[in-house]
Amino acid sequence: MASSSGNDDDLTIPRAAINKMIKETLPNVRVANDARELVVNCCTEFIHLISSEANEICNKSEKKTISPEHVIQALESLGFGSYISEVKEVLQECKTVALKRRKASSRLENLGIPEEELLRQQQELFAKARQQQAELAQQEWLQMQQAAQQAQLAAASARSRYQKGQHGAEEGDAM
Amino acid sequence: MAAAATGSGPLREEEGSSGETAAPQPQGPTSVSGARLSRLPLARVKALVKADPDVTLAGQEAIFILARAAELFVETIAKDAYCCAQQGKRKTLQRRDLDNAIEAVDEFAFLEGTLD
Repeated sequence: MASSSGNDDDLTIPRAAINKMIKETLPNVRVANDARELVVNCCTEFIHLISSEANEICNKSEKKTISPEHVIQALESLGFGSYISEVKEVLQECKTVALKRRKASSRLENLGIPEEELLRQQQELFAKARQQQAELAQQEWLQMQQAAQQAQLAAASARSRYQKGQHGAEEGDAM
Repeated sequence: MAAAATGSGPLREEEGSSGETAAPQPQGPTSVSGARLSRLPLARVKALVKADPDVTLAGQEAIFILARAAELFVETIAKDAYCCAQQGKRKTLQRRDLDNAIEAVDEFAFLEGTLD
């Protein structure tokens, strides 16, 4: 396994992946361990080589992202043109899969509720919620008003009882 | 080891040893990122590409095809090395067979730095 303690430059392709490829390419052939190790390193170097060349090609074009086309040109210019036809098959596959995925997701959208409808429902819910909030606020306000009125009335009658009491006391004295 | 960024199950594809791709290949499991599963872990390939300080961005499809190219490279160099072993009448592939294969092919000159 590639070292996890090293920096990015110690990255390699995992040994197991290389072993599997070797086994599939040369079934029933024994391969010495140090030979496998070398293949791992060569594979890593190959990737660096092609990506570096592809990057240069990319820089020369006005694009910022390395595209499959850049990689293909890099393979050609570095003498690996014989890989190009197989490599293009991968591209074709990518496109096919991407197409399938787009079709699948649009089919799903048709079965379910479309986005506009969902949006509309959401707006309705918001409006309802706002309304409920408004009503609630109004009720509270009314209650407060009523409570205030009652408090006023209570205060007023208390005052008048007190005053009557005073008068009564005076009248009582006077009688 | 299967080779998707998500590390899914074992690959079941077959490769024609003649190097021709005319024979139809059984479809292997496809990863979430689509396309035929590369035998190389795509996340690692991407990490290797980005390890180059000059590289800013690499598209996903570019990574896919680079991974495929690397597979082809491994197959090629392994087969070349095996020829050397056979010439030496050996059944075990040794490191020196790879050394010879590298020296024999011009396009592999870039590898001479990896030889000790």
